[in-house]
Amino acid sequence: MERKWNKSSLMGWQFVALPSALILLFSFYPMFQSLLLSFQSGKGTVYHYVGIDNYIRLFSDPMFKQAVFNTLLYLIVQVPIMLLLGLVIAHLLNNPKLRFKGFYRTAIFLPCVTSLVSYAVLFKSIFAVDGILNKMLLSMHVIQEPIAWLMDPIWARVVIIAAITWRWTGYNMIFYLSAMQNIDPSIYEAASIDGASKTRQFFSITVPMLKPIILFTAIISTNGTLQLFDEVVNITKGGPGNATMTISQYIYNLSFVYTPNFGYAATVSYAIVVMVAVLALFQLKLGGEKR
Amino acid sequence: MKKFLSVLLLVTMTASLLAACGSSNSDSNTAGSTDQGGSSKKKVVAWAWDPSFNGAALKIAEELYQKEHPDFELEVVDMAKADLEQKLNANLAAGVKDGLPDIILVNDPNIQKYVTAYPNTFADFTDKIDFTQFSPYKVDALRIGDKIYGVPFDIGVTGMFYRSDYLEQAGYTAKDLENITWDQYIEIGKVVKEKTGKYMTTINPNDEALTSILLQSAGSWYITPENKGNFVNNPVMAETLRVYKAISDSGIAKPVTGWSEFVGSFNAGDVATVVSGVWQVPSIMDAKDQSGKWRVAPIPRLNIKGGVNASNEGGSSWFVLNGSKNKDLAIDFLAKTIGGSSEFYERFLKEKGGVGSYIPAFSSDAYGQQSEFFGGQAIYRDFTKWSTEVPGISLGMYTQEAKDALKNELPNILQGADLTQSLANIQKLFEQQVQ
Repeated sequence: MERKWNKSSLMGWQFVALPSALILLFSFYPMFQSLLLSFQSGKGTVYHYVGIDNYIRLFSDPMFKQAVFNTLLYLIVQVPIMLLLGLVIAHLLNNPKLRFKGFYRTAIFLPCVTSLVSYAVLFKSIFAVDGILNKMLLSMHVIQEPIAWLMDPIWARVVIIAAITWRWTGYNMIFYLSAMQNIDPSIYEAASIDGASKTRQFFSITVPMLKPIILFTAIISTNGTLQLFDEVVNITKGGPGNATMTISQYIYNLSFVYTPNFGYAATVSYAIVVMVAVLALFQLKLGGEKR
Repeated sequence: MKKFLSVLLLVTMTASLLAACGSSNSDSNTAGSTDQGGSSKKKVVAWAWDPSFNGAALKIAEELYQKEHPDFELEVVDMAKADLEQKLNANLAAGVKDGLPDIILVNDPNIQKYVTAYPNTFADFTDKIDFTQFSPYKVDALRIGDKIYGVPFDIGVTGMFYRSDYLEQAGYTAKDLENITWDQYIEIGKVVKEKTGKYMTTINPNDEALTSILLQSAGSWYITPENKGNFVNNPVMAETLRVYKAISDSGIAKPVTGWSEFVGSFNAGDVATVVSGVWQVPSIMDAKDQSGKWRVAPIPRLNIKGGVNASNEGGSSWFVLNGSKNKDLAIDFLAKTIGGSSEFYERFLKEKGGVGSYIPAFSSDAYGQQSEFFGGQAIYRDFTKWSTEVPGISLGMYTQEAKDALKNELPNILQGADLTQSLANIQKLFEQQVQ
């Protein structure tokens, strides 16, 4: 009996060995190297160790603070809106009496298959000064003068948030929808016999049953938002001023736009790693099983 | 109405989606063909970012060089400018020389950055070319220490393109636009706006083109030659930002948010003037229906000591990589064509509208040709004349950092914050960025 267990265990290890080696080589090794890099500074290929100077610089770097502020703003405003919207839409589409369900689901999921760059370019042209949105608002007499959406710090952020919400709501909705379909209909039946309203059912049955999925989407959305790059670069290039610049864009600038300082760029990347880890931990504590 | 609008929205969205797909496809196609070098013929690979301009220039150079070296072959790989710079940076930083070409196009503000960040990567041209034959300000940009890296290529000497019909309607003749200051320009703009309803120019707070032109026109730059911030105690900087704010406040500038909107504004006839580099000529001439209506005047000047009616916007140079297998061939090819052939510059101008900084070519017939589109004006003769007046500056290493620091504060300046305080803030931010 014991021999057999050992043999199958060996078999298991064989299966695990190759992927583990690959992960070690292509994921953990570069991570370790970039950690080393984050303690160096210089230009291009001219490097020297500076100890924790990069990390000290990080905390007094106004550009970095601005990028963190912008990114957290997107996170705090956009993620709850998107998740709530996804939840509500999923709930609506889960109605068995709804007709053309397939069409609606496809329509709402469709933005997710568009390329990040092309939809960003699309939003840029919609929100241009003589873009279609301004033309519509002008012809409907909502506004008198065209609004320079992308040149106002507040509006530019609104445009970015609108764009990512449009792009990712459907993605989260699919998760909720599939989870909702796993909820036993008899629970709802029992609830309605007990006299619970539809709203009550949504908050007392659907939401608690979806808790693990909500947690999952919250974590991946947080992760995604912290790494936000394509949209901002293509819609506003981080402008006006640096009002929409994200942390990822700052890393890109440090490596490819400015005089390259890959060491400091690695330090900023590690700041993201820490933030993702802390936020994920926080969310797990908040929403996870209490054990 | 609603239905119409939604149909319109759908059509526009589909159209721009298709357009976006189209351009991204063409990018990926060209990027794929980099690794195919090393055939039996003497082949040199070059990276450039505009097949109808700098790529085409290389093709002209190739034809000229092949007359004496029939077995010479050049492969030009086109990619977007940002992609090219990113690829170069990533390759050099990783120390991988395999995927790199022999010849590469470098935007002038990047020269010092590349040479300093990647030492011994680029070939020394100091005694390969007679640099006295080129406009001095262009050679200054290529000189680092006592060495000159690369071959000067196109220049961006600026001019004020204007719609003679609009200005005539507002009561101005060509004479009124010669040798003016920016304050006079703004006054003219107000009259143009009132009489014709057209904007005088465009403004984009997220783009540093105008501030760069203003600074260089008085021999200053965002950073000092020692790579320090040049924001405080710099009268040129203060005057530049005062003029910039005045243009913004006067209401003569149409706000635009990007390059295509900028080009669209003059192609659609929305603005009366465009202050830009000479390379803007092909874009202006894209609007065929406006033929004969455009003219070029010198740009307005800053009303301070050292301010002239000439400046520069952009420009690039050719570099050869030290690690390239065909280094000597690549150097010889560039030196005999772009680095010293009047014929090259004549053909480049005639065929592609490109202006170089090779002085012997300026006296050729090609540079004296009259342009029908510009009402018979010999525009290139004028541009080359102005190019000799452009103050030489050192572009330094941290231009982009300095521009971003300025951009960060620009909204406050435009809203009327105290300029001295703002400039101190920018200086502080810049110093924070560069360490």
